Amino acid sequence: MGLLYPSALVFFALVPALLIAYLVRERPLRVTVSSVLAFRALRGLKGERPWGLPQLDWLFIVEVMILSLAVLAMAQPYVVRRRKPIAVVLDNSAAMQARTASGQTRFEVVRARLAAMLSSEPADAEITVYLTAPQPHQMAEPFDAAAQARSAIGRAAATDAPDQRDAVGRLLTELASGRRFSEVIFASSHPVNGSVPRNVRTIIVADPVPNFAIGSFRLRREGFGAAALRGRLKLANFSPHAQTLKVVLTGDGKPLAKAESLVESRGVVSVEFPQLAPAAVYRAELQPTDDFPLDNVAYATAGAIKAVEVLFVSPVRADADSLTTLAGVKLRVQSPENFSPADAEKADLTIFEYTVPKELPSGNALMVMPPGGDPVFNFAVRPAESIQIASWQRPDPLTDEVNFRLLELRRGEFFDLHPWMESIVSGNGGGLLLAGVRQGHRYVATGFNPFPYLGKQNLPMSVLTLNMLSYLAGLGADSVGYRTGEPWLVPAGVEKIILPSSSSVAVKPGTLFTAGTQQGIYQLVDAAGERRPRAAMLGDLAESDLDLSVPITIQAPAEETGPATFTANIPLTAYLIAAMLILAAAEGVIAYRRKRRALEVHP
Amino acid sequence: MLGLPAEFTPDFLARLEQLRIKTRREYVGMGKGAHLSPKRGSSLEFSDFRHYSMGDDFRYIDWGLYGRTDKLYIKLFQEEEDLLTYIFLDASASMAYPVGDRKFESAVAIALALAYVSLASGDRVMIRVLAGEGDRVATSLVYGRYRIVELARRLVAVKPGGQLDLVPALARELVSIKRAGKVFIISDYLMMLNSVTTGLGLFGAAAMDVTAVQVLGGRELSGQGIEGNVELVDAESGERVRVAMGSRSRQQYHETLMRLSREIRSFCFKRGLHYTLYTTDRGFHDFFLRAAAELGLVH
Repeated sequence: MGLLYPSALVFFALVPALLIAYLVRERPLRVTVSSVLAFRALRGLKGERPWGLPQLDWLFIVEVMILSLAVLAMAQPYVVRRRKPIAVVLDNSAAMQARTASGQTRFEVVRARLAAMLSSEPADAEITVYLTAPQPHQMAEPFDAAAQARSAIGRAAATDAPDQRDAVGRLLTELASGRRFSEVIFASSHPVNGSVPRNVRTIIVADPVPNFAIGSFRLRREGFGAAALRGRLKLANFSPHAQTLKVVLTGDGKPLAKAESLVESRGVVSVEFPQLAPAAVYRAELQPTDDFPLDNVAYATAGAIKAVEVLFVSPVRADADSLTTLAGVKLRVQSPENFSPADAEKADLTIFEYTVPKELPSGNALMVMPPGGDPVFNFAVRPAESIQIASWQRPDPLTDEVNFRLLELRRGEFFDLHPWMESIVSGNGGGLLLAGVRQGHRYVATGFNPFPYLGKQNLPMSVLTLNMLSYLAGLGADSVGYRTGEPWLVPAGVEKIILPSSSSVAVKPGTLFTAGTQQGIYQLVDAAGERRPRAAMLGDLAESDLDLSVPITIQAPAEETGPATFTANIPLTAYLIAAMLILAAAEGVIAYRRKRRALEVHP
Repeated sequence: MLGLPAEFTPDFLARLEQLRIKTRREYVGMGKGAHLSPKRGSSLEFSDFRHYSMGDDFRYIDWGLYGRTDKLYIKLFQEEEDLLTYIFLDASASMAYPVGDRKFESAVAIALALAYVSLASGDRVMIRVLAGEGDRVATSLVYGRYRIVELARRLVAVKPGGQLDLVPALARELVSIKRAGKVFIISDYLMMLNSVTTGLGLFGAAAMDVTAVQVLGGRELSGQGIEGNVELVDAESGERVRVAMGSRSRQQYHETLMRLSREIRSFCFKRGLHYTLYTTDRGFHDFFLRAAAELGLVH
């Protein structure tokens, strides 16, 4: 036991002061009686005190106790309790769903062993449970009892998301440093690389499991505006023998195509599906099945099959003519004066030529030769009479298949460095093509006008333009889906997301959505109730490689100083204050009853 | 009713009329009445014989005795006269405390009840108030039951106050009394015991038939309401006493009061005086009718 502020005990000097104040203040109640005759005998017995001082009664004692408690409370006493904080790091990544030879999943095996290990810990052990997927995080507030921790671990479930081994390694290194926890228990399918620190106990279930996996599932349009899609799957064989893997592809539940390929042991192959019929959701299933069914299924979603609606905002309406030649494009042309933000919301993408909107468009947009200094994008532009393309990013959906050596740009403007848009194509005087994402929307700005040159006469410009339109219309390779556990920005207009488990989550556009830990189709629901599917799949061959688990490295503490002693100071101030309140209430009751009794007889 | 205290209900008055004052001695009255007088008179109560003298009413000659003795004797009979009742009421300040106990009001009610019994029996009553504030009630002997209204009006107007020294006060009253009779002294008797005995003894020595009525408050007797450190102030003398009252102290206080009361009772018993104690937490009607004998009343 100790005192946080022992100097506060000096206030105990107030007790004599209280005594004096009490003696000065607390004169006896004066009562007129018919005769003091019968009271004289009492005076001789016990009534009168020396020097005429009144007798100290219970109320004074109660007040002294209250004062003493108050002084003690100011000193903030505490009792020291030894504690044993334990950190449990439980791997809940997708690989833990793999079934072991016993018929249980790795996660079930690990959880059972962990519960048995925690049973031997003291009942009042302080246990903090961490989960590894999708990001290492604390499961809940520290548990004060091993039974609570076991119960919480019993309710935990493995996710469909991969873990990040480096992050898990850093977490374990931090926990094993001995600063916060006396012991760390690591339960995972990943072995620990090298020597394990003394304060780390491991439960590793890493028996090899033969596994066949779909590594990725990508869709591309055969051409901009074309209805047909091209599917590409990556298949892997993580078993000791070569295996013929068969893929069955369905679209919106209807069989579309099949393919098979012989895959060597630990080999990876790609399977192409050209000319896939249009469907909202595509599902690929791998055969034969194995003990890790999660990666035997993959999902992808295509962009809208309907015609791409393009809103062209320009003072030169004739520049939009070249866009009408593109198949599957529905074009609307509007002058800048008549443009309103609501118009952009109705289009798949908006093209602003020689102008910029007065607020950030709530949809993807292409700015062609925007004027400089606008308050929304704040472009800094410099006119260029002669343009030489100096560099471009590759690979990038905007520069894909573009032969920049044949691309001729006669005049235009250069962009200076932009706060949040990245220069994709640069010229001799600055940026020529910028791209960036804000609030879930894609924005591209060009320092040249591609539309007068659209056509077979200037093939690189046509390819670049189609790349830009594809990127902005969401038809590029990046639009096929997302990996489980990967956070993504909620697109504009979306108010609710229905998870693959059918439960729904209210969301705000522009915020990060982090609940995507299940593999399957997420329905993005806007205010009008319209649903847009979005696929999320494991898509991580490293996670699917159950034959060879990647070890995790834990950095040992710099000095092995033996088991650290952890103590906790339990403050007693709250109890003292409670006792003060009880005594004060008792004093009030006693004083009230005395006064009332006196008034009843001697009003 | 007619200015009488609330205790004087018609039923209570009817029951009072069935009572009369009984004395242990015979007193000379001021007129015809129902009490035997030491005087010779014409009642049916035989008193003595004397020799016949000329002029005696020969209807009272005892002819039987003449036949046996051959001498004429006249039979003498006792006279029946009214009783002179003196009621002394303590109106000192002590009778006003504790306020809630209504000691003085109870004492007034007892005095009026005794006065009504006396008046209803055809006796004469004089009420004297000892100490007190306001108009001093110093009635002469009144006669007739209707005078109870006047007595009540005058007593109700009295406010208790002042200090009472019982012995000199009773001595003064005794001097003013010309004929002996029945005396009621109503007080709380919260004073030194020798004052009480001396005061009561004065009337005993004067051949008065005395009844001491002690009136104490119910809460006063139990010491209720006095708790913890208190400074007690004597209502009459102003003397101050500091005490710490607890349950034990209260018990001791109660025993002291009861001892004082027992000693007064013992004194009265030895001297042939009547004594009764009334505590205000008792029912007044019940007390008065049950304690009739102790008060010196008979049916």
